[in-house]
Amino acid sequence: MSVSRKLSRRHFLSLTGKGIGYSALAAAASACGGGGGGGAAAALPPNPPAPDPDPDPPPTARIPSPSTAFSVLKRTSFGVSKSSLAAIESIGILPYLAQQLDYGNIDATLVEAAVAAEFPLAASAPAALRPGFPDNIEAVVRDLVGATQYRACFSPRQLYEVMVEFWSNHFSIQLINGFEPVLKPEDDARVIRPHALGNFRDLLFASAKSGAMIYYLDNFLNTAEAPNENYARELLELHTMGVDGGYSEQDIKEVARCFTGWTLDFNTAEFTFVPFFHDDEPKVVLGQSIPAGGGISDGETVLDMIAAHPSTARFIATKLCRRFISDEPASGVVDSVADAFRLSNGDIRVTLEALFVSDEFMLTSDSKLSRPLEFLGQAVRSLNPDLSLPGDRGELLFGVASVLGQLPFYWPTPDGYPDTAAYWGSTGGLLNRWRIALGLSFGSFFPLNALIGAEDTIATIVERLADEVLMRPMAPSDRQLLVDWAVETIGLPADSAIPAAVIPEVLPIIVSLLLSSVYFQLR
Amino acid sequence: MAFTRRDIISLRAVSPERDVLVCIFQRGAADGLNSVVPYGDPDYAIKRPRIALPSPGETGGVIDLNGFFGLHPALAPIKPLYDAGRLAMVHATGIPHQSRSHFDAQALVEGAVVSKTDLSEGWIGRHLATSQALSESAFRAVSISGNVPFSLTGAIEPIAISGIQEFGLGELTGSTYQALLGDWYEPGAPYSDPAQAAIAAMDELLLANLSGYAAENGAAYPQSELGNKLSQAAQLIKSPLGTEVVCMDVGGWDHHENLPNFLPPALADLAACLQAFDTDMGTRMANITVLVQTEFGRRVADNAASGTDHGTASVAYLLGAGVNGGQVAGNWPGLGDEDLALGEDLRIETDLRTVLDELLRKRLGRADTQQVFPGFTGQPELSLFL
Repeated sequence: MSVSRKLSRRHFLSLTGKGIGYSALAAAASACGGGGGGGAAAALPPNPPAPDPDPDPPPTARIPSPSTAFSVLKRTSFGVSKSSLAAIESIGILPYLAQQLDYGNIDATLVEAAVAAEFPLAASAPAALRPGFPDNIEAVVRDLVGATQYRACFSPRQLYEVMVEFWSNHFSIQLINGFEPVLKPEDDARVIRPHALGNFRDLLFASAKSGAMIYYLDNFLNTAEAPNENYARELLELHTMGVDGGYSEQDIKEVARCFTGWTLDFNTAEFTFVPFFHDDEPKVVLGQSIPAGGGISDGETVLDMIAAHPSTARFIATKLCRRFISDEPASGVVDSVADAFRLSNGDIRVTLEALFVSDEFMLTSDSKLSRPLEFLGQAVRSLNPDLSLPGDRGELLFGVASVLGQLPFYWPTPDGYPDTAAYWGSTGGLLNRWRIALGLSFGSFFPLNALIGAEDTIATIVERLADEVLMRPMAPSDRQLLVDWAVETIGLPADSAIPAAVIPEVLPIIVSLLLSSVYFQLR
Repeated sequence: MAFTRRDIISLRAVSPERDVLVCIFQRGAADGLNSVVPYGDPDYAIKRPRIALPSPGETGGVIDLNGFFGLHPALAPIKPLYDAGRLAMVHATGIPHQSRSHFDAQALVEGAVVSKTDLSEGWIGRHLATSQALSESAFRAVSISGNVPFSLTGAIEPIAISGIQEFGLGELTGSTYQALLGDWYEPGAPYSDPAQAAIAAMDELLLANLSGYAAENGAAYPQSELGNKLSQAAQLIKSPLGTEVVCMDVGGWDHHENLPNFLPPALADLAACLQAFDTDMGTRMANITVLVQTEFGRRVADNAASGTDHGTASVAYLLGAGVNGGQVAGNWPGLGDEDLALGEDLRIETDLRTVLDELLRKRLGRADTQQVFPGFTGQPELSLFL
C-alpha cells in the first residue's frame, strides 16, 4: 500500500499554515475539518505482558527515566539539543549549571545580532515607539514576541532565557492592553532582562518604576485624593509576599497610599514621581510606621520591607521550585531555597544554586508536564539542530504558540501563565499538541531527511528518529508498537529497505508520532 | 474502544429529567451595582458620584425592573427575557469567602467553599462525580476553551474544546495513527486520562458528524469571543453527544478605571449573547439552565479614576424556561454606611450555594446536595426554579 494514498501531504500543510498572517494562523489551523476519511482503528498486536510486580505503579513507572544530564538540561532550558547534551555530558552537570548561571560569559553574539537585525523594535524606548502608535502595534508585537521566542529557541544562554520567561510571568504585563505596545518593550529590555539572574530587590525596584507596570496596574491613577489599590494589591499578592503572606486589607490600602504619585510622564512615557499627587500623611505598613513627609521614599521603604520579608523568600522559592522541580514541591526543598534567597538578600543566582544542588532537583525527572513554550522549543531544538531561524521572521513560532495558548506577553491577568499540569494537561491541550505535531512535521519547516543519515529500513529509521527527536530511551514495548504500526501502514517488513522515493513520505508521520508521544511531553 | 453509531444515537442531548447546565463565568469581578442597578436606594447615587447611572426616564437612565432595580441600558436585550419570566437575577449574592484576590476568589467560588483548606475540586466536578451518568459520553462535561476551569475539576475528565471543527486530527481522526496514540497513552501512562478522553471525544465527534453550525429561529450570535463560545455550546447541546454541563469564561470585567467606558460594551455583548442563545435554543430552553456569575463584586464607592476596586457581593443571572423569572431575588442589604461589609462593600445576603443547591435539586435531578456542598447548612430557598 502506498503511503501517499493514505497520507495527503497537502492536507497536513493546512494544520500549520506556513506563510500566512500572524493573527490568521489559529484560523488556518481550523481549515482542516473534523470529518475525515480515516478508516476504523486496525487491531494492533497486544502489548507484551507487563512484568511489573507493583500492583499500583506510579504514573511514570512504565516510562524509562532519562539520564540525569538530560533531565537537568531539560528543566533548565527550552529544549535539549544534541550539542547541549554533548556539552553537559562532557563538562559535567554542576560545571554546566555554573556556566549557565554565569551567562555574561556565554557568547550570544550571533543570536543577539540576529535579534537586532530581525526584530529591531523589541528593545525600543517609549519615545521611539510613541510617534508610530497605534499603527505600529502589529510590528511591535511581532518584534517583541519574535525576539523572545527566537532567543528561547536559539540562545546558548538557555538558563538565562528560562529565567527571563520566569520573571516576565512573575511581573506579568499583557502586551495588547491600551498603551502597552509603547511601554512593554522597554520593560523587557530595562527591567526583566538586566535583572533576570541578578538581585530580586533590584528587579522589584525596577518593576515598580517601570512605565509599563505603572500603566498596566493603574498606578498612574493612584492619587492622594482617592487611592487606586490595583498595584498595591498585586505587588503584595503576586510580586512579593503571596496571598497568604500575612498582610491585611488595611495593609493594601496603606501601601497604595505609599505609592500615590508614582506615575508616568505623559510626554516621555517614563517613570516620574509627582509630589502633588502623593499622600504625605503618616502610614503604617505591616506594623511599621512610615512618618509623614517621606515623599518618594514611602514607596521605596515599602519595597525594601517586602523584598526582605520572609514571606517573599518563601513565595519566590515556591515558585522557583514549581518551575524547576514539580507542581507541588516538598516543603523541605522550598525551605532551603527560601533560606538561600533570604541569606543572600535576594541574589537570584545563589538562590538557584541552592535549588540545583538539592536532591529533589538532581534525583528526580519527568515530574513536570512541559508547557507549550517548552514543547515548541524542544521541537525546534530536536528538528532544527543547526539552530537557524525558520525563514519567516518568527511567524511559525508565533502561530504555534498562539494555537497552543502560550503566546509570550498575552496572558490577560497579572498572575502570569500557570505553571502546573492541572492547567496545561487538559484534553484540548494534549490534542492541540498532536495537531501541531502533524503541522510541524508535514510543513517542510525542518530538514527531516538530515536526521536519519543513511538509514533506510523501518526498524533503523524508527530507532534513529526516536533518538534524534526524543534523545531519551523509549520503553521497548512502545517502540515496538511504533515499528509494528509503520510495518502495517507502509506494507514492508521492518528490516527491508524502503524505496528512496517513499522515505520522505514516511519521515514526517513518524516524527509527528514521536512529537505526540508522552516522552516528548515530560520534563 | 470506539463508540459504534448505535451507541451515539442512543444518547440523548436533552433529558426531560435533567437540565443541561450552561455556566458563564465573568472573570475579573463584574460590577453588579452598575449592571442590575439599585437606583431606588438613595445611597447608590451618593456613593458613586462619578459613575452612578440615572434613574429610569432620565437621559441614559436605567431600564426599570420593579421600581427599585433597573437594568443598565446596555443590558436592554435581556429585558424581554425578564418580562417573559425566563430570566431572574439574584442580587447581593456570592460565596462568603474572605478573599479579595481574583485568583483565590475564583478558586473558592468555583469550589463553592469558603476556606482554601477545603479546596480540592470544583462544585460541578463534585456534582458530576456523585450523580448517575446519563450516558457514557466523553462529552458529559465540556469547557469551551483549551483548558478546564476549576469548577469542572473532579473525577470526570472534562473535554476542553476551543473549536468543534478543530477538535480532531484531520483525516487521521479515527485512523490507526490515532489508535497508536491511544496505545501509547494507555491507562497507567502519564496523562492517560486526558489523552484517552480526547481520543474518545474525537471518535464520538466523527460519528456525530457535526458540520458548520446554523443558528435557528433567526438568532444572531455577536461576532465576539463569547458569541462564538455560546454558539458552539448550542451546537453541542443540540447534538446527540450527551453533554450535561458546558462552562465558558468571559473576561474583561476588572474595571479599576473608567468604568463608564469599559462596562457598557461588556454588558452589551453579554446581553446580546444570552438573547441569541435563548432564541436559538427555542423550546429546548425548557431543559436548559444558564448561570452567569463572577468571583466577587466591586466596592460600593467609586474611585478617583471613575472605576471601582475589589468588593464583596455582586449579582448572578439565571436563564431558562425552568427559571422562576421576572424577579430580582434575595434580600437587599442597603448601601448605607452601617449596611456595608467591611465598612465599604455590598454585603452578601444570599449565599450563592443556596441558589446552586436549589438549581441542583429542582433542575438537575439531585435529591441530596451534601456531597456537592459539604457542611453547608443552607438558607431558605428563594424559589428561583420551577
